[in-house]
Amino acid sequence: MNISLLQRIFFFTLGCCFLFILLLGSVIWSSQAIELAFSRNHYAQQLTNQTNTLKQLVANDNIYDSHYSINDWRSVEVKLTALLKSSPHLTEQQKTIQNSLQSQNESLKSLFILINKNKLKNASEIIKKHLKAKLMIQLEAIRSDALHLSAIAQKDIYDTIKKQAILIISVSAVSILALLFGAFTLTSIVRKSLNEVKRAFETNHSGDYQNIQLSHHSQEFDSIAEAFNIMNEKLSESTVSLTEMKKIVEERTHVLEQLSKTDPLTKVGNRRALFERANMEFSRAMRSKSKLTLLLLDCDFFKNVNDEFGHLFGDELLIHICSICGQEIRDIDFLARYGGEEFIIVLPNCDIAGGIETANRIQNSLARHCVAIEGKKVCVTLSIGISMLSERHKNLDQLINDADKAMYLAKENGRNRIEVLPAPNLH
Amino acid sequence: MINKNVTWSLISLVIFSSAAWFYFNFESHWQQPKYPLMIAVSKTPLSTPFYVAKAIGAFDETCVSVKFDEVVGGQRAFAKVMSGEVDFGTSSDSVIAFQSLTNKAFVTHAMFVQSDNDVKLITRGSAKINSTMDLKGKEIGVTHGTASEYFLSTLLALEGLTTEDVELYHYKPEQLVNGFINKDIDAFLPWEPFGFQSAQLLNGQIKVHETKGLNTLSFNLISVTADNLLVEKAKCVIQGLSIAMDYIASHPRESKQIVMDELKLTAEFIDWVWSDYIFKLGLNQSLMLSVESQAIWAVATQMTQFNEVPNIERFIDSRAMLQVMPNAVNIPQ
Repeated sequence: MNISLLQRIFFFTLGCCFLFILLLGSVIWSSQAIELAFSRNHYAQQLTNQTNTLKQLVANDNIYDSHYSINDWRSVEVKLTALLKSSPHLTEQQKTIQNSLQSQNESLKSLFILINKNKLKNASEIIKKHLKAKLMIQLEAIRSDALHLSAIAQKDIYDTIKKQAILIISVSAVSILALLFGAFTLTSIVRKSLNEVKRAFETNHSGDYQNIQLSHHSQEFDSIAEAFNIMNEKLSESTVSLTEMKKIVEERTHVLEQLSKTDPLTKVGNRRALFERANMEFSRAMRSKSKLTLLLLDCDFFKNVNDEFGHLFGDELLIHICSICGQEIRDIDFLARYGGEEFIIVLPNCDIAGGIETANRIQNSLARHCVAIEGKKVCVTLSIGISMLSERHKNLDQLINDADKAMYLAKENGRNRIEVLPAPNLH
Repeated sequence: MINKNVTWSLISLVIFSSAAWFYFNFESHWQQPKYPLMIAVSKTPLSTPFYVAKAIGAFDETCVSVKFDEVVGGQRAFAKVMSGEVDFGTSSDSVIAFQSLTNKAFVTHAMFVQSDNDVKLITRGSAKINSTMDLKGKEIGVTHGTASEYFLSTLLALEGLTTEDVELYHYKPEQLVNGFINKDIDAFLPWEPFGFQSAQLLNGQIKVHETKGLNTLSFNLISVTADNLLVEKAKCVIQGLSIAMDYIASHPRESKQIVMDELKLTAEFIDWVWSDYIFKLGLNQSLMLSVESQAIWAVATQMTQFNEVPNIERFIDSRAMLQVMPNAVNIPQ
């Protein structure tokens, strides 16, 4: 059942009021019960007093004396009888004692009338004494009953006060527990719900549109959560999240980086990529004292091909050369367009012999694979200059310069050939 | 969540099983021991609290399991107590007074009923006995050593007569009416139910004199001088009687029916006597004084061979009553 916080507070207050009324009711009931018990006790004490007065009247005087005034006795006896008729409301047990009291009083009156009938002129002293004793016994019986009644009333007072004290303590304890429980529950619901709403806002702030899931349901927080969730839904529909945005930017950056390092025609590395990679390999070779060889390739008579078959074919030819080179080099080698129809291949961990071998493989492969145009086969050759890193190379430019020199040497020496700088010992 | 529920169910089951096991194993240790008791109950409506207690199972809630030995008159109940045939008995204060003179080792634990009209003076109509003075020289039947004899002696004394001035015949309580029918006696003093039975039987031939209030009689629970165990048993008997007293006060019609069934009495008789009875547990100084005055009377009028009245306090044992109803005890400690 979904109850609103206001309803909870209302029920909680209602419960407290009920407990308070219960407490108040019990106090009123108890005070009445105690008042009744006091009136019973008072009644019993009055009976005791009247009986004691009668006892004194019997004990102090000679009741058989002709001058004995029975008026005193009668007035007290009338009071006692009247008192017995005006008893307060009594319990069943007390009613039994009341019946006994009334019966004893009747016996008392009968006995007194008997004694005063001619003052027992025929009776002996023994029976007179005996009847006086009986009168005293009768009075004592009334007194005992009155005391019993008083004791019961006093016990009732004690029991009622004790019962009331226990009730007040119990109701107070229950009230305090209920108050604590209610306060704790309300605080807990409000605190948890507020935390959950706060967390949802924080999550939202970071661009993650998550719905609020409330652990405690209340109409107030449920309506907040509902409004928030609707807002979230609309936001997530119209907004690209930051995560997605980052991903797109990374993809675009990667593409741009690729573009900035790639020759747009041949799709191999451009000059920037060449110098970046070659510098890295140069530094590594210098650091680790490993070998590094560069091949500088230049297409022979490329201008003539361009003039004869057009620039488009020239472009196609360059792409073809790159494709051949790409097939013949290792994975760790790097091919880049140096400029025009010139290409450089960086060969890490490779000496002059390895460079010559690679250059040979490229020339052979190119010789085998000519490019067809308008039904004619066009074959091109490459002049390749090779340079290997040595102690005299202080930077990459010097190494490239050596490869360039070697390539021009190959051109001078008739093209489609390989030249090495510095000249290896094996030549 | 399910696992948690299962765990709690298992723990609850274990706790309940253990509690049940302990309860059934140690139940006998917690329960009070049940003492089997025999009580000599006088077959009179004065014993109503005993019959009601038995009928409503009031003794079942106490430490005693009670059996009744029904006798005619408190004197026989007293004799059975003293001979050890029964544990407790019911006797009138008159019997206690007469027996106290014999210095027997007995005690009174509680008074449970009183009546101011139980013993009646019944005379033959033709004998023309209109006042106590007219009893002089007449043959009168009483039960020796009981309220019957005591009441006659006080009635006579009121007019300056003694038992010497009449011809006294001693009968068992149930035999009194036979003596009257056989014309051996002209007057007799029976107690109920014999008074009513005689009135029914001899309707028209007799006169029942108005003596209400002249002799208050009480019925009491007695036993031999009590040790602690007997006091404990007396306590349980009184507890049962207390429950019966409450029942009589709240269910008078049902209580009357119980006594009618037990004593085979008519509704007419119960209505005749019921208003005279006050069923109430107590142990008062008035009882002591009553016993004492009756004992003094018996000695003074030479109704007994004994001539010394003992200290009556010896015959009162308030320990059981003090445990059950301390409020109803009013004697000097």
